[in-house]
Amino acid sequence: METFELRVAESIGVVAVLEVTGYINNEGGEAIAREAGRLLDTGTRVLLFDLHATRIINSIGISLLLEVLERTLDLGGTLAFCCLSPSISKTFQIMGLAQYARIFPDRATALVELRPAP
Amino acid sequence: MSEPARVRIVLPPVPDAELLAARAVQDVGARLGFARDTLEEVKLAVVEACLNALEHGAGEVEVEVLGHRNGEGPRIEVLVTDHGPGFDPRRVPSPQIEAKLHGNRKRGWGLELMRHLMDAVDVVSKPGYTQVRLLRRRGGQ
Repeated sequence: METFELRVAESIGVVAVLEVTGYINNEGGEAIAREAGRLLDTGTRVLLFDLHATRIINSIGISLLLEVLERTLDLGGTLAFCCLSPSISKTFQIMGLAQYARIFPDRATALVELRPAP
Repeated sequence: MSEPARVRIVLPPVPDAELLAARAVQDVGARLGFARDTLEEVKLAVVEACLNALEHGAGEVEVEVLGHRNGEGPRIEVLVTDHGPGFDPRRVPSPQIEAKLHGNRKRGWGLELMRHLMDAVDVVSKPGYTQVRLLRRRGGQ
């Protein structure tokens, strides 16, 4: 359950979906920051993190997500999350993250909102 | 008066040691009938307390997880003790996301998260001894 995995599930145009599994700690957060950096460097401007398989995160992982958020905003992009567990949703709410990142209940809803109109 | 369920752990200084404490919270909380979502909030707070102790303490970190059934109703109490230099919790600033986003130091959320996720957070700290006490009632927060 806590073993960390990161997978780019979709990358279409400027939108990429990253599926995160397990505990987002320092190592997980660093892996996320590396992959997000690579995607942003190659033109991705919308990063959607699907956290349906993540039940626990720590404040070191959170700080690394904030680095990704800062970089994405600096590039004029959008950082989004979907499928948050209630405890992670509450954590993001406590932090005030929703002021800067978009949060969706599920991936389908997120992609409808985030994909550029054809 | 029934004795509380009690789990004592000494966390080793290895990666993810804080998850040992989280598992103890899971076990004790499940016995008390805590809902899964509530337990996940408690686990998140306990992970933060343990991370602080592992990072700033000197050597071993002791964790005691107590499950109370009597008196005020079912509740989980967690004591996290380290032997580091100590700190003054009144001097820990409340983090603001705006400042964190534009600043170099993005950490510093632990105590804030604990305070919002638990019903009570008490810190006793002096050089060589810091104990964080976390309390969550079933149905609290």
